[in-house]
Amino acid sequence: MGRTQTKSPSTGISSPVGVKSLLVFTVLLLAWMAGFLSRLFAVIRFESIIHEFDPWFNYRATAHMVKNGFYNFLNWFDERAWYPLGRIVGGTVYPGLMLTSGSIHYILNLLNIPVHIRDICVFLAPIFSGLTAIATYFLTKEIWSAGAGLFAACFIAVVPGYISRSVAGSYDNEGIAIFALMFTYFLWVKSVKTGSIFWAAMASLSYFYMVSAWGGYVYIINLIPLHIFALLLMGRFSHRIYTAYTTFYILGLICSMQIPFVGFQPIRTSEHMAAAGVFALLNAVAILKYLQSVMSQAEFRHFFIVAACTAAGVVFLAVVGLTWMGVVAPWSGRFYSLWDTGYAKIHIPIIASVSEHQPTTWFSFFFDLHILVATFPVGLWYCIKNVNDERVFIVLFAVSAVYFAGVMVRLMLTLTPVVCVLGGIAFSQLFEVYLKEEEPSRPNGGDSSDDDDDGEKNSRYDKAGKLRKMKHEQQATNDGLGVIRSMVIVAVLMILMMFSVHCTWVTSNAYSSPSIVLASYSQDGSRQILDDFREAYYWLSQNTADDARVMSWWDYGYQIAGMANRTTLVDNNTWNNSHIALVGKAMSSNETAAYSIMTALDVDYVLVIFGGVIGYSGDDINKFLWMVRIAEGEHPKEIRESDYFTDRGEFRVDSEGSTTLLNCLMYKLSYYRFGELKLDFRTPPGFDRTRNTVIGNKDFKLTYLEEAYTTEHWLVRIYRVKKPDEFNRPRIPVSQRKVKRRNVYLTKKTSKKRRGAIKNRPVVVKGQRPKAKPT
Amino acid sequence: METIYSIPFYVLETPKLKLKKPSWMVMPSPMVVFSFVLLSYFLVTGGIIYDVIVEPPSVGSTTDEHGHSRPVAFMAYRVNGQYIMEGLASSFMFALGGIGFIVLDQTHSPSTPKLNRILLIIIGFACIIIAAIACYAFMKIKLPGYLMS
Repeated sequence: MGRTQTKSPSTGISSPVGVKSLLVFTVLLLAWMAGFLSRLFAVIRFESIIHEFDPWFNYRATAHMVKNGFYNFLNWFDERAWYPLGRIVGGTVYPGLMLTSGSIHYILNLLNIPVHIRDICVFLAPIFSGLTAIATYFLTKEIWSAGAGLFAACFIAVVPGYISRSVAGSYDNEGIAIFALMFTYFLWVKSVKTGSIFWAAMASLSYFYMVSAWGGYVYIINLIPLHIFALLLMGRFSHRIYTAYTTFYILGLICSMQIPFVGFQPIRTSEHMAAAGVFALLNAVAILKYLQSVMSQAEFRHFFIVAACTAAGVVFLAVVGLTWMGVVAPWSGRFYSLWDTGYAKIHIPIIASVSEHQPTTWFSFFFDLHILVATFPVGLWYCIKNVNDERVFIVLFAVSAVYFAGVMVRLMLTLTPVVCVLGGIAFSQLFEVYLKEEEPSRPNGGDSSDDDDDGEKNSRYDKAGKLRKMKHEQQATNDGLGVIRSMVIVAVLMILMMFSVHCTWVTSNAYSSPSIVLASYSQDGSRQILDDFREAYYWLSQNTADDARVMSWWDYGYQIAGMANRTTLVDNNTWNNSHIALVGKAMSSNETAAYSIMTALDVDYVLVIFGGVIGYSGDDINKFLWMVRIAEGEHPKEIRESDYFTDRGEFRVDSEGSTTLLNCLMYKLSYYRFGELKLDFRTPPGFDRTRNTVIGNKDFKLTYLEEAYTTEHWLVRIYRVKKPDEFNRPRIPVSQRKVKRRNVYLTKKTSKKRRGAIKNRPVVVKGQRPKAKPT
Repeated sequence: METIYSIPFYVLETPKLKLKKPSWMVMPSPMVVFSFVLLSYFLVTGGIIYDVIVEPPSVGSTTDEHGHSRPVAFMAYRVNGQYIMEGLASSFMFALGGIGFIVLDQTHSPSTPKLNRILLIIIGFACIIIAAIACYAFMKIKLPGYLMS
C-alpha cells in the first residue's frame, strides 16, 4: 500500500526535486486512498448508515442545521430530549463537526451536486483521515525528515487505533478532531522553529477549529504550555518561543471563547490555568532576559534565581487563591479522574459505567497499534538523543499521551498519532542506516568470492596509512554484512506487511460494526442480519403518538431521538446525573414504585434491550448494575446495590438470584413471557443464552404495563405504560360479572334470531301487501 | 541601576549566607530520561493502571475435567480484562522489540569491529523476531480467531 515506497525519498537525496515531490505526492495520495478505502467495510457490508449512539445525535443536529440554517441551529432548544427539562442544543454542543459537513453540503449544492446530508455525514470521517495523514506528514517532516513523515502518514492512514474512531458512518467529533489536533501541532512546531507571528497566528486559528470540534482541545492548551515550561526549565528560552507562545496564547484564547459551549471557561476553569500561568512566567523570563542585558553577570545570577522563584510562586499562589475564592472553577470530575484514577470509580459511576472509560489492558495497546507499540520507544530514543526545541515537544506529547491512554481506553486515540510519528521516525532511521551503507559496496561487486581476497588485502595493507586501511576495512565489513543486512531488511518488511494485514483484519472484524445492525454468521458461513433496533424504532415512529415519551436507559436516547423521532427522558449527553438516576431508580425498583416514578415523568412507553434470545451481551440486564449504582448515588435510602446480589455476592438471574432483582422492573420487562419460550430442543424453556442460565422468575404478570411490541429476535421490547383508569378498578370474578350486551333493545324489537343485520335493507312487514307492485 | 537595587541594603544587612545548588540537582542526561520513559512505558503498556484500579489476580486458575485447579496465564476471550503477569509478559515483549530496533541502530558506527557488528545485528534481529512471534502467540491465546476471517 505504498508503504515500501517510502524508503526511496528518504535515501534519494541526490534525486532532483521534481521526482522527489512527485514521490511524496504519490505516497500521500496512496495513503489517503488506502485510509479511505479500508474504512469502508461497514458501508460495503451493510449500507450507508450512521453508526452507534453519539453519531445519531450529531447527524440529527446536522440535519437540523442544514434544514433550518446556522443561526436557528445555535438557538435550537430541543424539547424532545431530557423530558421535561429539554436541552439547549446550540449552547451545549461543539458545532465544528456540524459546520464542517454542513459547509461541504452547501458547497456541493452550489456546484449542483446533490448529495444527501446523510452520505456526507457517513463519509466525512474517512475523508478526514486522509487529511490527518497529510497533517502527520508535515508534523513529522518538521520534527525529523520527509522520509519519516511519509512513513508516519502511511501508518496513521491505516492504524486501527485511529480507524476505530473514523470508519465510515461513525460520525463523531473525534473523526475531524484528530486532524485538527495534528494540524495545530504542526503549525505550533513550525511557529516554534521559525518564530514568526504568521505561523503562530495560523496555529491559533487551527486551535480555534479544534476547540469548535472536540472537548479534547484542553489537551492542546495544556500540552503547549507544558512544552514552553519544559523549554524554560532546560534553559532554551529564545525570542522565537516567546513570539510563538504569546501570539498563540492570546489569539487562541480570544478565538476559543467565541464557541458558545466553551464561553468563559478558558479564563475561569482550572483546566486552562496552566496556560495562563505559563504565559505570565514566560513574560517574566523575557523581562529578566531584558534586564540581563543591562546588568552585569554576577548581579544577574542572584537576581535571576530570586526573581524566577518569586514569579513562579506568585503565579502559583494567584491560581490557588483564585480557585479558593471561587473565581476559577476547580478541576471538573472528568479531568480529575485522569489524575486520581480511582476517583471515577468511587464518585462518578456514570463516567465509570462507560466501557470506553475503562483503564487499558496490554491487549488494547497491541490491538490498536501492533508493531508501532514496539517502535514507539525507538522513535522516542532518537528524539531524546538528538534533542532540539521541537523534539522536546514530541517527547512531551508522547509521554503524556501514553499515560492518558493507560488510564482510559478511549484516549488511545490521542496516543495513536504520536505513536505513528515516532514509529515513522524509527523505521525511516532504520532503513536509512541499512539501505544507505550498502551503496558504496555495490560498485565493488557483491560476489562473496571476493571476500577472502579482501581479507588478505586487508592484512597486507595493515601497515600502510591509517586512512586507507579504514576505507578497505569498511568495504570488507560491508561485504560480509551484506547478507545479514538484507535479512534484517526483509524481516522488517515482513513485519510491516504483518502490520498492514493486522490493520485490515482488525478494521474488518472489530471496528466495522454499525452496532445498530447486527450480523451473525451461521456454521456454513452464511450471514444473518439482525435488524431489530431499526425495526423497533420504526415501529415507535409509526405506531405511537407524535408526542409520546419513551423511557429507556440513556445509551439509547440518541437513537430513539434520531430514528424514531420521539421524546426521550435521558440520552447520551449525560449532563444531568439526577435525572439519569431517576430513570435508573425506576428500572431497579419494583413495578409499583416504578409506576409512580413513571407517571411523575409522564412516561408513555418503556423500551428495554434484551439479548437473551440471541445471546447479545450488550443488553440492559448486563448493564443493570450500573443503573443500580447510579440510582444508589442519588437515592441511597431506596436503592442499595447489595440487595441485587445473592448472599455470596453474585449477580445472577436464575432461581438463586436475589428476590429484589427478580422482581424489579428491568427484570420483568426483559423476561416478560420469556418463560414460555423454548429456544431449541436441548434447553429448557426460559433459557437465557447471554447468561447461560434458566431464569429464576418465569411466571409473572405485569400490572401497570402492557407489552406493546417485541422485535423479531426479542432484542428490543417496548411496553406501554397503562393510564390510571386502565388498571385501577376493583377486580370482579368472572362468574359475578354482569356483561352489558349491546343492541339489546334492537334485537328485542325485531324478535328475530338473526346473527347480523344489513343497514337500509328493505324490511318486509307481514300481513301487508307492498303498495307498488313491480309487475 | 546599581543604586536602585542597593536601596534596601541601606536598611538591611545581608546575611553571610552561601546558597549552593545541591549536587544531585543537575540536568539529567538524555539516556537517564529515556530509561525512565522506557520503564514507565513498560509499566503502562503492561496495564499497570488497570491492575491498580481493577485489582485482578496475578494469575488466574480454572478447574479441568478431573476437578484439579490449573493455573491459567491468559484471560482468554476477554478483551478488556487481563491478569497481572499476562500484562507484564506482553509489555516485556513490546520493550524487547523496541530494544531490538535500538540495537540494530547501534551497528552502523564504523569504529566497532566486524564481529561485534554481526553479533549486534544478530541480537537485535533476534529480539525483534522473538518479540513479533511472541506477540502473535499471545494474541492467538487471547483471541483464538486472530487473523482468521
